[in-house]
Amino acid sequence: MSAHDHSSPHPEPAAPQHGGDYEIMETAVRELLVEKKLIGPGEIRRQIEVLDSRSPALGAKVVARAWLDAGFRGRLLENGRRACEELGISFYDDTQLIVLENTESVHNLVVCTLCSCYPRPVLGLPPDWYKVKPYRARAVSEPRKVLEEFGTHIPDNVEIRVSDSTALVRYLVLPLRPEGTEGFSEEDLAALVTRDAMIGVVAANPPTRSA
Amino acid sequence: MPETYQFVKRLPNDIGGLQADAVQQTDHVLLPWEKRCHALADVLDFHKIINTEEKRRGVEALGADLVGKLSYYERWIVAFANILFEKRILSPTDLALKMDEVAARPRD
Amino acid sequence: MRDDTIPAGAPLTGMVFAEGERPVFSPGDKARILARSPVGHYRVPTYMRGKFCTVEKIIEPAAVDNEEEAFGRNAGSKRHYYRVAVPMSELWPEYKGPATDGLRIEVYETWLERVPA
Repeated sequence: MSAHDHSSPHPEPAAPQHGGDYEIMETAVRELLVEKKLIGPGEIRRQIEVLDSRSPALGAKVVARAWLDAGFRGRLLENGRRACEELGISFYDDTQLIVLENTESVHNLVVCTLCSCYPRPVLGLPPDWYKVKPYRARAVSEPRKVLEEFGTHIPDNVEIRVSDSTALVRYLVLPLRPEGTEGFSEEDLAALVTRDAMIGVVAANPPTRSA
Repeated sequence: MPETYQFVKRLPNDIGGLQADAVQQTDHVLLPWEKRCHALADVLDFHKIINTEEKRRGVEALGADLVGKLSYYERWIVAFANILFEKRILSPTDLALKMDEVAARPRD
Repeated sequence: MRDDTIPAGAPLTGMVFAEGERPVFSPGDKARILARSPVGHYRVPTYMRGKFCTVEKIIEPAAVDNEEEAFGRNAGSKRHYYRVAVPMSELWPEYKGPATDGLRIEVYETWLERVPA
């Protein structure tokens, strides 16, 4: 592994409780751009509403639909973006989506080593750990060890495929459907699908006894 | 080749495969200004005032020291300011005066 | 995997495509990711440079080179990205996991060279 790590030895600094000078800079840049009519006065607010409308619940619905509907699953694996658009999910950032299917013999894991590429249209914004060095640096070189840190053990007879997203394409993992979920509704299935399962760091949750 | 050239050819964000600590499953709810900053990035890309790739390049161009010291959205807003200066959409004076004006407002 | 780049209907003869218009690589092709070192901006991480890979999928649509996009080019000539597969053992000689473990990444056409199968 490369010895010339010249990035800071410090962990990612925690964001302060208010933005201070940076918040002032953000406000000033935004207002200047509006004054110059380069962006519209309501555009930022509108985009915040767009961001707020995206969360792992959308991805979970996509996964549950794929578990129940083989035709949808096929279309999803062929063209992830088009299949999500069928469900009304828009790709406001004009990215493409490849859906990676976990099977009994393949486990997929998603990372962006260069920055923080993430399927925001279907999952919302990524968690902090996805954006900082330990995960980004190590997911590509020691994925099994990283998965163990999430409590996920992948046996050696299962192939690990790490997708490093860099450009146009975003990735969503289609986890294995948990055992004991025969007859579950789409809603009940979606409740088992977490954000982390769609990044590929954990499996979908098993059904609880009461479900 | 001089020893320092490695810092020129390997950008500060290019960390795949480097040694690093164990993953801590950290997260936080975005502060209002952080969410506005994210929305600003999207809107700047929609208009191609600053496209997403320019934003990434702008963050890399801050250099390893600042990339290591600033938080995620702090890096973004400083990169946006620098790129807007480069494109002569804003001048450093425009931004300094507006920041003084914003700072002088009563805070809630 | 269906190839969306082949137009439907009877194949035409004599059609000449513009430079960069059609993908140069096809799924299954063996290639090498080039080992050059651009400065300023790049999207091929250092750890991928010079590695042998197999093209798995053509990414549609074609796109502007992201190294140029980073300096404000938003339109103009486009080429394809390819999703390529690289074994972990090719990337990390000391990799300890099973030989089947691998990595997938999208690489722009100008970063790939064909190698004999």
